[in-house]
Amino acid sequence: MGSFDLILLLKTAPGLSLALLLAAMGGLTSERSGIINIALEGKMLISCCVTALMSVAFGPWIGLLGGIGAAVVLAMLHAVLTQMYRVDHIVSGMAINIIAFGASNFLDKKFTDINRTGEIPQLPFEFYYVAAFALPLVLWLYLRRTKGGLRLWAVGNDPDKARQMGVDPVKVRYLALLATGVFCGLAGAWLVTNAGRFVDGMTAGRGFIALAALILGGWRPIPAALACIAFGLLDSIQLQLQGSKLLGAGIPSQFWNSLPYLATLIALAGLLGRNRAPAGLGKP
Amino acid sequence: MSTIVSMTGITRRFGAVTALDQVDLQVEAGKIHALVGENGAGKTTLMRILYGGLDADAGVIEVEGQSRHFRNSAEAIASGIGMVSQHYSIIPELTCLQNLMLGAEPGLWIAERDAEARATELATRMGFEFSWRAPAGSLSPAGAQKLEILKLLWRQARIMILDEPTAMLSPADGDALFVSLKQLAAEGDTIILVTHRLPEVLQHCSHVTVLRGGRNVAHAAIGEHETPDAAQLAAWIVGHEVPEVQIEAVAPGKPVLEIRSLRVRGDRGEEAVKGISLRLHEGEVVGLAGVDGNGQRELFQALIGVGTVLEGSVLLDGRDVTRDGPVERLRQGVRLIPEDRHEEGVVEDWSLELNAALGLQRLEPLRSGLWVDVGERRALAGAIAERFRTKHGGLGLPMRSLSGGNQQRFVAARALALKPRVILAFQPTRGLDIEGTLAVYAALRETCRREGVCAIVVSFDLDELLEQCDRVVAINGGALFEPKPGEERDRAAIGRLMVGAA
Repeated sequence: MGSFDLILLLKTAPGLSLALLLAAMGGLTSERSGIINIALEGKMLISCCVTALMSVAFGPWIGLLGGIGAAVVLAMLHAVLTQMYRVDHIVSGMAINIIAFGASNFLDKKFTDINRTGEIPQLPFEFYYVAAFALPLVLWLYLRRTKGGLRLWAVGNDPDKARQMGVDPVKVRYLALLATGVFCGLAGAWLVTNAGRFVDGMTAGRGFIALAALILGGWRPIPAALACIAFGLLDSIQLQLQGSKLLGAGIPSQFWNSLPYLATLIALAGLLGRNRAPAGLGKP
Repeated sequence: MSTIVSMTGITRRFGAVTALDQVDLQVEAGKIHALVGENGAGKTTLMRILYGGLDADAGVIEVEGQSRHFRNSAEAIASGIGMVSQHYSIIPELTCLQNLMLGAEPGLWIAERDAEARATELATRMGFEFSWRAPAGSLSPAGAQKLEILKLLWRQARIMILDEPTAMLSPADGDALFVSLKQLAAEGDTIILVTHRLPEVLQHCSHVTVLRGGRNVAHAAIGEHETPDAAQLAAWIVGHEVPEVQIEAVAPGKPVLEIRSLRVRGDRGEEAVKGISLRLHEGEVVGLAGVDGNGQRELFQALIGVGTVLEGSVLLDGRDVTRDGPVERLRQGVRLIPEDRHEEGVVEDWSLELNAALGLQRLEPLRSGLWVDVGERRALAGAIAERFRTKHGGLGLPMRSLSGGNQQRFVAARALALKPRVILAFQPTRGLDIEGTLAVYAALRETCRREGVCAIVVSFDLDELLEQCDRVVAINGGALFEPKPGEERDRAAIGRLMVGAA
């Protein structure tokens, strides 16, 4: 079956997993607090765009901060919609994705200098590697061993009972979404750093794949991280198998392209692991 | 004797309704103080004001001699007042230890081993035992109650308010709870017990305050001279003498409903009903005593035709109806007073009139060809509302406009309408006051006697069943236990059957 390079596979997989890892951890804090988050995609995308634009203008660190800031703004919008105005979580998530898609497209068209379409300044890749692979461990410890983690877990399971015990669910959820914004912002910044430039719709459904990984991992940081790495592997296998012949038959590249999405679909359809969902998911 | 909690002249209005009118409550330190009254008498409102969940419009609260005004429950806890509400605030997905700590964590970083040691120490002092790392969802009702009490102790509460703590417990667990409460009182803690079970008050409490219609009716010490008896207490609560229930013995007629070694699967795939056999005769009201979650729900589901029957059969008037669905069962005369009237009993946005016909719409005389006879429907709704004197503002108004107790009256009356054959009543008097309770049971018995039908009543209150039913059987772990001959009315014996300790 053509040339299958294991070394290349192992080299590319972590990079492809990074954005998924960061976004999935963002999804984790949100969904553990009880807020269904299908807006990881939009939050990543807006960060991609703002990071690209601001890095060119002000350098990589300001670019990163800008990207995170933009994702946090969308996350706070999500919090206000669901907590203050009691908008359905799916509907508000949809709205945020649409806003992010339109806004990133608009900003890109408006501010991209045609004379400077070159590479954007980048932070060292190691920065993102360390952040993405340390985050699940940190979150695992946070959930198991700290006051804030216990409260996050409790609010996601039963906001009313948590309130009776003197915990303020709304405050917990705002903080959880703040973290979602930060992590999705990081994920977006990594995507654009890795790609070198902003492309319209460049997240290409990674927000949803991250959500699928989260669900597959039963809303727990370590299993969810492993699921992200698995999806990353799948992606890099897919890249290698494109154009190769399997059992003598030429399989169209679109088939391989669709593999990660197919796996996502199966996971999101809830065939696997729905029963471990936080009990208060989607409750006001 | 020092007064630790003193509430004077407490008044609280909700709109035009005065829920509390100049109510006083004096509680002595180190005592178990009972607060009794009917639903709507203001007990819970008064306790919520003390606990910081509600504001009083007027009145003074003093705790340990100091004037206090709690704006939220966190402030009340900080002053040593804790409350266990009727619906536990335990989160089943968390471990017991996490539930214990939630809201009062030892610090930003939780050293689980230290916390566990402290928790165990607290539990040992009370004579409780917990596996702290196990999910709290695995606790029995009694275990959950104990955990709730430990949660108060963890928060260093010295004044504990318990709202109907024995409502979900078996008699033995209830007695054990009072042993613990007495120990706490002996150590100087103060307990305010909100209850409607009068034997508890007389046996275990040292003082009782009676509220009726938002006013103080009586205050008495128990165990001294002039101790009120149960009849006196009941008269205070209701406002006049309560006639003692006399059940006229009935010679059982021919069998109506026969359950033959029925096995039913529960929601989680487990076998919830494990081979129950029971025969009900014409005119008979049978009480099904048991702690919540022992298969009562699944048994009823199977009897109305929505449960998953694994084995066994249900016979109605000698005919096998095991495979018939709910529509067929309704036509055959199976009627249900469901456990949760909001969710299963009524459509709250519909009018009373539509709700009266809900489920009965296919039956004569409501049906006329493909149409519903609107005139008959209105007449039926009127009769149902009349039966237990449901207070309503018009049959065209939505169900939502009725209070919980009135909805329950309506749902109970509906089950008795249009020629029932078998009446399945799941806690039919939940949320009703004493008079409502008596009326519902009297009507159940009367319907059964007059129309030759039978009824099964599920209740978690054994005393109520013993008082009101022709005979009582116990359910435990999905199996049925009939009391031995001679012990049919023996509270202790049936109580043992309820927990499988016979």
